[in-house]
Amino acid sequence: MNSIIALSLFGIANLFLGFLNNRKILLPATLAFVLVALGLNLADWNQEYLWFNNMLRTNNLSVNFASVILVATFLVVAVSRGFGDDEEHTHPAEYYAIMLFSVVGAIMMVTFENLIMLFVGLEILSVSMYILTGTDKRNLRSNEAALKYFLMGAFATGILLFGIALIYGATGSFNIHGIEALVLTAAGGSAPALLYIGIVMVIIGLLFKVSAAPFHFWTPDVYEGAPAIFTAFMSTVVKTAGFAALFRLLGGAFTGVYGTWIYILYFLTMLTLIIGNITAVYQQSFKRMLAYSSISHAGYLMLTATAKVAHTQSSILFYSLAYSVATISAFAVLMVVAETKESNAEKTNENFDIFNGLAKNNPLLAFVLTVSMLSLAGIPLTAGFWGKFFIFSDAFQRGIVVPLVVAVLMSAVGIYYYFKAIISAYFKEGDVPAIELKPIYKITLIVTTLLTIVLGIAPDLVKSIF
Amino acid sequence: MQYQPSDYLPIIVQLIAAIGFIVATMIATHSLGPKRNTKLKNEVFECGIESVGDARTPISVKYFLVAILFVLFDVEVIFMYPWAVNFIHWVNTSAAVAKEMFLEMLVFMALLLTGFVYVIKKGILHWEK
Amino acid sequence: MQQMQQIPDVIKLIPLNFYVLFSSALFCIGIVGVLTRRNAIIIFMSVELMLNAVNLLLAAFSSYRADPSGQIFVFFIMAVAAAEVAVGLAIIVMIYRNIQTIDVGILNKLKW
Repeated sequence: MNSIIALSLFGIANLFLGFLNNRKILLPATLAFVLVALGLNLADWNQEYLWFNNMLRTNNLSVNFASVILVATFLVVAVSRGFGDDEEHTHPAEYYAIMLFSVVGAIMMVTFENLIMLFVGLEILSVSMYILTGTDKRNLRSNEAALKYFLMGAFATGILLFGIALIYGATGSFNIHGIEALVLTAAGGSAPALLYIGIVMVIIGLLFKVSAAPFHFWTPDVYEGAPAIFTAFMSTVVKTAGFAALFRLLGGAFTGVYGTWIYILYFLTMLTLIIGNITAVYQQSFKRMLAYSSISHAGYLMLTATAKVAHTQSSILFYSLAYSVATISAFAVLMVVAETKESNAEKTNENFDIFNGLAKNNPLLAFVLTVSMLSLAGIPLTAGFWGKFFIFSDAFQRGIVVPLVVAVLMSAVGIYYYFKAIISAYFKEGDVPAIELKPIYKITLIVTTLLTIVLGIAPDLVKSIF
Repeated sequence: MQYQPSDYLPIIVQLIAAIGFIVATMIATHSLGPKRNTKLKNEVFECGIESVGDARTPISVKYFLVAILFVLFDVEVIFMYPWAVNFIHWVNTSAAVAKEMFLEMLVFMALLLTGFVYVIKKGILHWEK
Repeated sequence: MQQMQQIPDVIKLIPLNFYVLFSSALFCIGIVGVLTRRNAIIIFMSVELMLNAVNLLLAAFSSYRADPSGQIFVFFIMAVAAAEVAVGLAIIVMIYRNIQTIDVGILNKLKW
């Protein structure tokens, strides 16, 4: 919990560090800040606390989720390359500060005990992301993505809030344990219709944020338009936080009336899986393909978040970690290749063919890309395989056959489009000059790749903690 | 006490009377009064500096920044109202709670002030640059 | 202080159902506005209308249940909405400076 306070202060400190002449210290400072926050976060391990008059609750679940978020943030910051801290008229301090602030929102979303905190955390995260999406001010695509994200996000917030208001009207409480108790008593007798409408609206609002179909239309546009580094941040941190919040509501407060939402969610899960995977096949742009793949991963996570068995939470956590690590390394490779091509005055479009012939001069980058793609596709000996395995076995234990069959079929489709990137890197003719990587960049790429492989060989290393 | 919709009838009658009076007087004055239109009379400022251009010209983005900052800092005041109402109560009953509340408000104001210092250091309120 | 006590009673003079219906109507007007308008500012105003419908509903529920937490939530919504306005208007101004219009129909660079 102290991590929230610390991160807020660090964000402010970052803003003022930006006034220094030497802005090179921003990147190491931010990395140190995130590490300190991670340490403070782990200090809450094995303790159950309620904070600020029952507003926030920390327990092992929240510590785990916050750790995944902080690790993802650390990796994203490590591959951020300073946001132009050696040029005039750039704002690296603000970008780092906003990233830290958005992590505060994300941690509030995993620790909330009161719907007020859910709302505040969600908004801190979303508003920060609107800004980060539009940071490429002269680029029309970035502008458009920011506007779309903003309008859609504000719209979803409105729906979520109306749902919260209706739940408050029906139960008279914002506290999720209070709501859980009242929902359980109401489920037996005649609950007011407001409760059911409210629950569905809250779920819709959250599904908007985690980009599940049919509320996914903003996702490809925003992911493609935003600068790649922030797309990586968005598709890992925001998604993990969103699913943590969704899981805590579905598995806790709304369990009593699961009959109202469970079939809707099964249907939406299948829809998300089908739309995400099938549309990803037709994408020319690598970034856009990753956007659709993030929709399909939302589908897999929904499959396990819909109902509670004993180790659902560890499945979600493991999947989020595997997905985050793989996505960040894929984006890191994309960023550095796109930038090299751009500096050689070549036309770049972030399509698949940007990787053509990557393996010839850059074996490391090609290997990193391959491992991350294999992990996202769920091939054995990578973390992604075990992520999918745990989720499918959870679904099998609960006996939800139809969504499970759809999920397995769709993960087979996924292999096709992930392999397109590997094929262009190794087998297509092309010319990518040898790319000189900064040490921190190289280390991060190696660490993410090793993490993916180690977790693929020995998933229990992490799974037993979660 | 329960009000029926019919209880609001006098309000509607008065509304109609008020609007009707305004409309009637406007029609009456427009039709009764003499009209002499000249180019000079149709100017925006009949006697004053000659007007230049359109009123809808784009204005400097600096006005926009100040307006946005005003909205942000202005809205934070709403958190002080519930605080103030409860603060009086606790000052009269328990000094310990009142002290804590005061410290919390100090932290809140300090954070706001930090934001303000950042804005000033960033040079956003520098009008001529 | 005497006057403060009476405000919930004044709110309770109108049945709760009326508040729910009125807020739902306002909310739906907001949704229709978001879905049909082309001008970014007007879409934005519609979103604010949705938030205000929520505020009204929360205030009504809070009075009927004699529980102040609903009204505190309204304060949070207001403060957050102000932050959203700041960011949203900044995005709109940024777009206007680049393309001299805020019609969302013009923005079609990103399509599948």
